[in-house]
Amino acid sequence: MERDRRDRSVVTQAITRHFADVRAVDGVDLDIDSGQIFGFLGPNGSGKTTMVKVLTTILAPTAGTARVGGFDVIADQAEVRSRIGVALQEVGLDPLMTAREMLVLQSRLFSADSSASQSRAERLLRTVGLDEIDPKKRVGQFSGGMKRRLDLALALVNDPDILFLDEPTTGLDPVSRMAIWEEVRRLNEDLGMTIFLTTQYLEEADRLADEVAIIDRGKIVAQGVPRALKKEIGNEVVTLTFSSAETAAKAGAVLEKEAQSQQLSGRDLLCYFTAAANRLPGLVRALDEAGIALEGLTLNEPTLDDVFLRATGQRIAPREETR
Amino acid sequence: MTDVLLLISRSLRNSLRTPAALLPNVAISVFFLFVFNSGLSSVAGLPGFKGSYLAFIIPVSIVSASVGGAGTAGQALIRDIESGYFTKLLLTPTSRLALVWGPMVAGAMLLVGQVILILVLGLALGLKTAAGPAGLILVLLFAFLWGMAFAGYAVFIALKTKNGAAAEAATFAFFPLIFLSTTFVPKEYIGATWLKWAATVNPTTYIYDAMRSLLIDGWEARPLLIGLGVILAFATLTGSLALRQARRATQLG
Repeated sequence: MERDRRDRSVVTQAITRHFADVRAVDGVDLDIDSGQIFGFLGPNGSGKTTMVKVLTTILAPTAGTARVGGFDVIADQAEVRSRIGVALQEVGLDPLMTAREMLVLQSRLFSADSSASQSRAERLLRTVGLDEIDPKKRVGQFSGGMKRRLDLALALVNDPDILFLDEPTTGLDPVSRMAIWEEVRRLNEDLGMTIFLTTQYLEEADRLADEVAIIDRGKIVAQGVPRALKKEIGNEVVTLTFSSAETAAKAGAVLEKEAQSQQLSGRDLLCYFTAAANRLPGLVRALDEAGIALEGLTLNEPTLDDVFLRATGQRIAPREETR
Repeated sequence: MTDVLLLISRSLRNSLRTPAALLPNVAISVFFLFVFNSGLSSVAGLPGFKGSYLAFIIPVSIVSASVGGAGTAGQALIRDIESGYFTKLLLTPTSRLALVWGPMVAGAMLLVGQVILILVLGLALGLKTAAGPAGLILVLLFAFLWGMAFAGYAVFIALKTKNGAAAEAATFAFFPLIFLSTTFVPKEYIGATWLKWAATVNPTTYIYDAMRSLLIDGWEARPLLIGLGVILAFATLTGSLALRQARRATQLG
């Protein structure tokens, strides 16, 4: 297979991008192997989109170097562009054109001839399930979901080696989200595409990605295989909830020696263990003796949020903080 | 080159899909033609005025049409930037020149269509051209190039501001260009020294001169060469500004 010998890696060294005095991306090193699904995880405004724009040549880095598919994003822009597909978070569609017109034009701008572009457009419309719509319908009349599917089709028009998806599932319902996951896996497994996917959803990175990097305020705070990252902080996590953050801090001091490691987050105290079940009575007793009232207790496996929490002292998605 | 043609045809098709945006431009140039021709035609009776006032005012109608053509190019680009489609185009390996030329040439081509309409109306009103049909073709060429020059400016502003209202405001810069010139009367009849001076430095004056010489005097090398030189200089300036801005798009974000 000729395809398998292609360089489909993404390698960056100290990529930095400033906007005025804001360091949106600050010295990011990545080394993504050919054929991986790479999850770039981080909260809103952490620099994910800026990084995608730098890697896809639409934003020049302030400093650092990046090679995508073996080509430099500054010196060999046209080479990089011809090898990548990009679906940004905000779809980029012309409301006055039809889906076919847009696919054919995009394909021709990637140097395919007219008849190849026509058949490619038909094939991609089938792939994303837009082949049964009225061919005269302009994109301005499409629903949000249809626009997103067309945008994905446009990203695939040049048969890319590396596909960049910037928050492809943000705002989607669970069923559509699953459909996107399926499609991402299919593109990766059947066509061998490297997939660079940004997300603010922990579960998405966890379930889909072979490897993840977690970014916060422009800096990488953790990087590796999801399972290994989680294992580093323990196999199980006990979340203890108290009436206030102060009480939680007090409890943290009391339980300092009990857990493998611990982390405060608001009214919650998270304790990490290799095996937690047999430690629970001891925890509760220690709190009781110190006269600290417990409001809630849960036992879970660590998630990437725990990895993020340990690295930054905050949760990725504050709204996921329940109880 | 294929890319430029693809992008031009896409821009043209989009313009034809929004006919409402084209109508005001046509209306304005027809307005110039009728209102000034009937309202000011007595100027032609002044001693020393050569030719018909219709032949004198038609270039004004054409140049004002080119403002509309440029506006179309700028607004189309703003629409692409706002919809994110411009980014999609930036992601293709096509040259940045093709991305800039697509809307510019399409705008200038629409202008040529409009100028044909103006000339047909003029001929119906009794316009006589000293330089004959070939002269009219040359008038069309001048209109096309002047349209490109204005469109270059509009595209530059669009890329620079990325904002519809700002780009709209910037087209007001065209008004002094159209009116601080030999717009309604030949230079020798302009009384105010400042206006005479403005008309001398205003490049539009030389476009009027070139077109009028074709319509009124026939084939005269001097005004045509000066007109062509001015247009090419202006078009090169605005075109390179637009291209530079398109290339910088990735630096600026």
